[in-house]
Amino acid sequence: MNDTSHQSIDDTITREIVKSSLAVAVEEASIVVVRSAYSAFIQEGADACAAILDARSQLVAQSDATSLMHGASLRASLPGLLEDFTADNMAEGDVYVTNDPYRGGIHANDLLVYRPIFASSEVAYFAGTLIHVADLGGAYPAGLASLATDVFSEGLVLPPVRLYERGEPVEPMLKLLAANSRTPETVLGDVRALVAGVNVIALRVGELIERHGATEIARYAAEAMDYAEVRMRESLQEIPEGRYEGHFRVDGDGLSLERDYDVRAQVEIADGSARVDFTGTSEQSPGAINASQSQILSGTLYAVRCFTDPTIPMNEGNFRTVQAHFPEGSLVNPTPPAACGGRVVSVTAGVEAIVQALSSARPDRAVAQSAIIHVYALSGSQNDGAPWLCLNYDFGGLGARSGSDGPDATGAFFLGGRSVIPQIEALESRFPLCFRSAALIPDSGGPGRWRGGRGTECAIELLDDALLTVRGDRIRRPPAGVSGGHPGLSGGFWIERTNGEREDLHPKQTKMSLGAGDVFVMRTSGGGGLGPPHEREPELVLADVRSGRVSLDAARSVYLVEIDASKSTIHQSATRRLREGLASGRDH
Amino acid sequence: MTAPLETFLGIDVGGTFTDVVLGDDRGNVHVAKLPTTPADPLQAIDGGIRQVLETAKVSAASISRVVHGTTRATNAIVERKVARAAFVATEGFGDMLELGREARVEADRYDLHFAKPRPPIEPELCFEAPERVDAGGQIIQGLSDEQAAEIAGQVAFAAPEAVAICLLHSAANPLHEERLAAACRAALPEAFVVASSEVWPEIREYERALTTVMCAAVGPEMAAYLSGFESLIRGLGIHAPVQIMESSGGVMSAARAARIPIYTVESGGAAGVVAAGFIGQLVGESEVISFDMGGTTAKAGVVRNSRPDVTHTFHVGGVASLSGRKGGEGFPLKIPVVDIAEVGSGGGSIAWVDSGDALRVGPRSAGADPGPACYGRGGREPTVTDANLVLGYLNPARLAGGVELSPGSAHEAILRHVGTKLNLDVAAAARGIHEIANLNMAAAIRVVTIHRGIDPRHFSLIGFGGAGPMHIARLAEAFDIQSARVPAAAGVASALGLLTSNPSVDTVRTLVTDETDANCEEIETIFRKLEQRTAREFDCEPSELQMSRSIDVQYVGQAHSLNVPLESGVFGPEGVRTVARNFRDLYRKSYGIDLDRPTQFVNFRTRTTHPVETLSLRAKAALDPANGSAAAPSGERNAHFSELDGFVATPVYAWTSLEPGHTFSGPGIVEGPDTTLVVPPNWQVSFDGTLNAILQRRPRL
Repeated sequence: MNDTSHQSIDDTITREIVKSSLAVAVEEASIVVVRSAYSAFIQEGADACAAILDARSQLVAQSDATSLMHGASLRASLPGLLEDFTADNMAEGDVYVTNDPYRGGIHANDLLVYRPIFASSEVAYFAGTLIHVADLGGAYPAGLASLATDVFSEGLVLPPVRLYERGEPVEPMLKLLAANSRTPETVLGDVRALVAGVNVIALRVGELIERHGATEIARYAAEAMDYAEVRMRESLQEIPEGRYEGHFRVDGDGLSLERDYDVRAQVEIADGSARVDFTGTSEQSPGAINASQSQILSGTLYAVRCFTDPTIPMNEGNFRTVQAHFPEGSLVNPTPPAACGGRVVSVTAGVEAIVQALSSARPDRAVAQSAIIHVYALSGSQNDGAPWLCLNYDFGGLGARSGSDGPDATGAFFLGGRSVIPQIEALESRFPLCFRSAALIPDSGGPGRWRGGRGTECAIELLDDALLTVRGDRIRRPPAGVSGGHPGLSGGFWIERTNGEREDLHPKQTKMSLGAGDVFVMRTSGGGGLGPPHEREPELVLADVRSGRVSLDAARSVYLVEIDASKSTIHQSATRRLREGLASGRDH
Repeated sequence: MTAPLETFLGIDVGGTFTDVVLGDDRGNVHVAKLPTTPADPLQAIDGGIRQVLETAKVSAASISRVVHGTTRATNAIVERKVARAAFVATEGFGDMLELGREARVEADRYDLHFAKPRPPIEPELCFEAPERVDAGGQIIQGLSDEQAAEIAGQVAFAAPEAVAICLLHSAANPLHEERLAAACRAALPEAFVVASSEVWPEIREYERALTTVMCAAVGPEMAAYLSGFESLIRGLGIHAPVQIMESSGGVMSAARAARIPIYTVESGGAAGVVAAGFIGQLVGESEVISFDMGGTTAKAGVVRNSRPDVTHTFHVGGVASLSGRKGGEGFPLKIPVVDIAEVGSGGGSIAWVDSGDALRVGPRSAGADPGPACYGRGGREPTVTDANLVLGYLNPARLAGGVELSPGSAHEAILRHVGTKLNLDVAAAARGIHEIANLNMAAAIRVVTIHRGIDPRHFSLIGFGGAGPMHIARLAEAFDIQSARVPAAAGVASALGLLTSNPSVDTVRTLVTDETDANCEEIETIFRKLEQRTAREFDCEPSELQMSRSIDVQYVGQAHSLNVPLESGVFGPEGVRTVARNFRDLYRKSYGIDLDRPTQFVNFRTRTTHPVETLSLRAKAALDPANGSAAAPSGERNAHFSELDGFVATPVYAWTSLEPGHTFSGPGIVEGPDTTLVVPPNWQVSFDGTLNAILQRRPRL
């Protein structure tokens, strides 16, 4: 690209200024949304997104520091909004909200908020923000309707509706939201945070338009998309052309233990583009694990991005290089009114399937299966009758990677690769809870030449009566290893009752009653291993034993490494005998 | 002239230069600037002190105060050159550090092969104590002296150099931590032992634990360094108290710094913002933005009411990024730190073209060695300094430290690495580098202003550091700021800042209380106790101390609080109402929304200051209006200004030969002993009584 003679340095500089200003605007909005949000869920985990879109619903810029799982949703819901309220019926200061999973949304609790941005009295852009709000009705608190069988039981469905009209709140709408929530104050706080976020973007983009002119901004936005597209194509050309397949089987929908669900992906790489076809994926579930189209598209794009240059900016240019087919009536494109709240199970299965497919194209980038987020909601009422709701989550181990161990307790894949630990002092100050432990589980990472990441155990004693709802997966079938690696250790949920009895919970159990003194325990699974464990460097096994990641027993029986009881040295000859024994055993 | 009553010595050790300033209360100032000696920083300090004592003809014994600013603690953390420390947590929570709280950001998020950062302390050195305190401070599970001794024995067996102790709810009840700390000190008499309740007793165990761990990790090294520093000072015959700049902008005794060295984490950076506050006062401005640009980074801070803004969410050791404290990077610290945003954009930052043909500057830096291409010391890549030389802003004949610059090398580097790749001539490429660097640095200013809900247009921008004054006017333009100030001693401003700050101590106590349940007497008692304990840190009568109080307030149910300052006087029912009202105002300003909800008090904070005699700068002469047009350039050279369509003959002034009251309009260049000020065409500059440059933007033509 040496033909830049038509460019002047003013162009170069202005482009950088506009690009950086757009990025700063969405980043600032995400900071505002996260900081002023009410739900602890958002504050601690940044389950949020902010974006700028153009009037044709193309993604111009997206916040960088927030969760990736919402990339496609703000983009996918905008056409519906424009269909219901045409652009010429919108006014400066209007704000709209929607959450309909069948029109680009995700599930009831993920609210998508938009504000049109005007240039010479025409809608030129939209500011968009999205967060998971604490509770918006439905059959169970916090939208954790793990056993829901339709969208209606998951919460209030909102088609695109006007929330603010010319800067003034549409009070009946706010009242409607509040009236449909178990925690009305919190939801209104979250909604105000979302609105504050779109206001920041609208202000910043407005300033840019004023300074540089609408035409110039449009030109630079188009250039940025083209630039991302060119770089995506270049990057995709580095993957050998061909058709690759991957699949992932999820634990189930919680309604029936017998029925298995598969997510299959065929990925075709050709001419600098990727075609991802989910044909062969199981039919939609009567339960809640279905993924709306925008969610699976976010996942698809994310998975492909993991095999391209990570520095390419995320905007519409990315979407142009990835075509996807989601069969109608399947787990990844259900027909209404199927429930979608538990979609993380299926979306991450889709991500795993694509990662597996592309791992076969690029074995040097291979990754074993990972654990999945485990969520719990504890709720009850205070002495004065006011409701409380503690929605929290934990991550399991990431799969082992070709060349490195899987990270412990990390939000796998597009949950952002983040680590969390409960804010125990803050939670105990707000809720009738007493944490007993929050720890990593030894031997939980799938053994392998490269070990899977460890899962976690969190034990919470209740100080008052409460209701418990959980959601987990990859327990019945823990994350598998690849190329001879072993699976990670299964997680689980249980209650230790005051009488000493242990009561195991179903991974999608809802509304369990707990009393003061009962202890709720949640374990996340370990990630799968990669390569045979007996090929792991004995020194790495020794380091794992010393740090408590692997027990002495497992070192001996699984990794075939003999380590002395003081954990200081490897018995070289004994180790050799163990490992040779395996080899000779094989020969027979 | 009357003899000075007080003589002060300020020592600021930066990555590239060690600045030593000798000043007194009569306005005399002497300066020494030496290259930093990284292996043993005391070497350059020793040389610098000897040099100023000689030029000032002052005896070491007459010095009444020594203040030191150091980046040693930060560097140790960033480079992970820290002590082998152990960590003790409540039983069940020993994995806290390994679990961690962090997030991949930016490009890292698409990299499945990312490396999760190592925990600050390896799991082999993490221990658990069988004890538990609840949120209200009640002991649920006791920890006996015997049990504490047993844990201490286990810790001692691992023979760490330092021990950090952080137990759950120790902010509400520190008894168990104190017991364990005593046991560990007994078992490990040589080790640096510190408990979280001694460092910073505030709610949120993870951040408090990391603050404590970082404190322990730098403890042995900082204690040794500070004792070496004090020996050096005494060896030179200086008897004055030795003080260290602390992160929140005051100074503390070297003894306190050695006890809780994490308080020095932004010691060097804080000095710059303090200096901006001082310069602001000199020029009659109480609301200023400080902009400090050195060799490898640029830092921005905000001064309001002549006091630096302070943050309680500082991250140390993170990747230098847009904010410097984006959630998930580095280690969060709970202690108050002057709110500084830092970007990897300094004179030595390298310009390059990425695979998408975009021009980028930094964060890689050529540093002092090999340095920019124009230094002729083997640097081949173009830097911001090379661009400034090509643009005619820098004088090829001289730079601080006496380096002669090679314009030819700068040209060649810029052309090869930027010009040919983008099909630009050398001037256009240099201009691009200069402006992209400005864009990066604007991000730092944006973080401490717009991101905090502060409108920068009402502020004056104060630029210093070796490279800052070349960029200051352009940065002001980017934010629509109409005035900028550059101190006469711009190159050593941070060292001057050290001599203008007062000893101070910050404290905190957490007590989560709903506004409606607030007990004024209890709150007054909390403040009193904090203030009484603090007074013991000072070597003076309590009546000489200035106390200020504040409360962290949040809406019930939210987890992010805002700090609300209190009026002086006893805290009464009116105080509760005022705090709640001021919080609502602050919240609206910060987030643009009003909430009709009850509020909650979380943390009670005090700041105690001992006002002492500090540096004053003497006016060189009374302002003489007749000087108004008398500024005579010492020469001219071609410099590039885009509004004049390229290079124009630009007058060059020598700062040292200017007189108070001198005024001229841009374009112009003012060369000082260790800095260069660029005045673009649409700016006018005048010089005040102490020769500070006052830049004013002229209305657009």
